[in-house]
Amino acid sequence: MGVYDFTVKTNKGVEKSLADYKGKVLLIVNTASKCGFTPQFEGLQKLYTQYKDKGLEILGFPCNQFAEQDPGSAEEIQTFCKLNYGVTFQIFEKGDVRGENAQPLFKYLTAQKKFEGFNKNHPIAEKLEEALKANFPEYLEGDGIKWNFTKFLIDKEGNVIKRFEPTTDPADIAPEIEKLL
Amino acid sequence: MVTVYSITNCPWCDKTKKYLASKGVEFEVRNIEENEDFAKECLQLSGDTMVPVTTVDGKNFVLGFDKAKIDELLAG
Repeated sequence: MGVYDFTVKTNKGVEKSLADYKGKVLLIVNTASKCGFTPQFEGLQKLYTQYKDKGLEILGFPCNQFAEQDPGSAEEIQTFCKLNYGVTFQIFEKGDVRGENAQPLFKYLTAQKKFEGFNKNHPIAEKLEEALKANFPEYLEGDGIKWNFTKFLIDKEGNVIKRFEPTTDPADIAPEIEKLL
Repeated sequence: MVTVYSITNCPWCDKTKKYLASKGVEFEVRNIEENEDFAKECLQLSGDTMVPVTTVDGKNFVLGFDKAKIDELLAG
C-alpha cells in the first residue's frame, strides 16, 4: 500500500487517483475549510508558484474538524471568504482527516509519519497547545492530525519523506522540497 | 435589483443574505463558484474573488458582511 493507491475526489467532485501524480514531489496538506485569516494558504501558494514548474504539486484537503477559529488570529476578523481560498493548487473535497471517519489517505499518512511534537519556537505553538488542551485534549494523544495545515512531503517515488506540523510555516519547507525536486 | 455574489459554504455570504432578507430587500444570488460568467463579473467589479460582494448598480459595491456599509449602499 502506498500513496499512489489512493483515490480522492476534487472539490468539483471528480475522482482523482494519486497515481496521476507519479514523478511529482507532493505536499499533502489538510487545510482549513473556514473563511477568514489563514496565512498558511498564502505561504503554500507562494511555494506552489515558486516550484510548480520544477515538479511540485500541492494537494489541499479541507477539513472542519478543528475549531472555527485559528489560534492566535482572533484579532484578525475578516468578514469575507475567497473563491478557492485564493489558491491555484488543487483543492479536494471536504472530509475528516482524523478519527474513525478519517479519509484513508490521512490514516495512511499519519501511520507513516508519527507526531513528533510542535515546533515550540513558532508564534502559534503555545496558543495552539492551549486551544487543544481546552477544546480537544484527546487530539494531543497519538499520531492523528492535530490541527489545520499539517503537511506531508512525498518524493517522486511516492515515499512519505517528512511530516510538518502546523507550527512549521510553508516557507520553511522550501529547502526540503528543493532536495527532492 | 440587489445582487449578492457568493460561493458555497461561505458563512459571511449567508449572513449578508439573511441581513438583506431581514430588511425585506429582494436580491439575486450569483454563485461565482458554479458560474464562470458570474465569477468574471465579480472580478471586474471588485478586482478580486472575495465574497460576498453586494451591489445595486453594478458599480458601487460592498465587500464582506458590513451592515453599515450595506445600509449605505441601499440608501443610494
